Amino acid sequence: MEHPILFISLILDQMGLPVPHTPVGSNMLERLCEPYMTYTWLVMAFLIIVPKLTMGKLEVIPGSGQNFWEVMIGGLMNFFKENLGEDGAKMLFPMMATFFLYIILSNMIGLIPGFMSPTSNLNITLAMTIMVWVTHHVLGFRYHGIKYYKHFMGPIPIMAPFMFVLEVISNFARLLSLSMRLFGNIFAKETLLSVLFMLAGAYFAPLPILCLGVLVSLIQAVVFVLLAVLYCAQAMDHAH
Amino acid sequence: MSDDSREMFRQLAVYSHVGMSFVFSIVIGFGIGWYLDTKVFDGRTAPYLTFIFLAFGIAAGFKNLWDIIRDISKKE
Repeated sequence: MEHPILFISLILDQMGLPVPHTPVGSNMLERLCEPYMTYTWLVMAFLIIVPKLTMGKLEVIPGSGQNFWEVMIGGLMNFFKENLGEDGAKMLFPMMATFFLYIILSNMIGLIPGFMSPTSNLNITLAMTIMVWVTHHVLGFRYHGIKYYKHFMGPIPIMAPFMFVLEVISNFARLLSLSMRLFGNIFAKETLLSVLFMLAGAYFAPLPILCLGVLVSLIQAVVFVLLAVLYCAQAMDHAH
Repeated sequence: MSDDSREMFRQLAVYSHVGMSFVFSIVIGFGIGWYLDTKVFDGRTAPYLTFIFLAFGIAAGFKNLWDIIRDISKKE
């Protein structure tokens, strides 16, 4: 299959940096120049620079830029408060809101020709999922102390070892399904788009998929953050 | 977002999770059993641990389902 044209990779190539043509680069520099890494940095830079530019100085009567961010942040905060309560929402807000903004932006960026979604690589989604997974267990231990292990033991003492194995398996399933879903959806979107561009790009064949892509990007970002929030809420909750 | 669409997104997240977590539970159970059989015990216990952990995986999948259904019925 023909490679999609990625403009950052082209620029890096021009600068003489090694852009790997295999899925995994052979040394550190090549790995740093892989498309999903460079586009992650692009998204990060975007998320740092654009809010700075659009918000400027915070004012009492917000302009259009500040309004947008206030609605965005306010909506997210309300959403977290519903699921986590006031304190939990305040504690987890920086992490979860960052996940949401990062995922939605990196999903959407792949719809523009010349860009790719960093989330269409399993490394990125798995890294984010591991962060969520570790966080929710750490939170569980912080809120319940050592008694958190009771979450894994089920209600009947005699069944406890059996339930423990089941819980461990379903915990790892969580790790895998959360990362694989985001990766799978976005990778499918990217691949479909590049195939359609290659086959019949001149006849607007990718147009319906582009529309669907917007929907998928939004839904996957919401679902990822929502499940992360639900896991944290579950860990902070009392043992059933 | 209105309350309705928020609830819709919540349910979307929970239900779209059901199938995948079921499948991955089974796959992970099988994977653990297979790893123990071939790598840890060098095939001396094959194929018993694979089957035992496969059963564990299937049970874990059903337990996931059970938990989700209990959550739903608690809310209603």
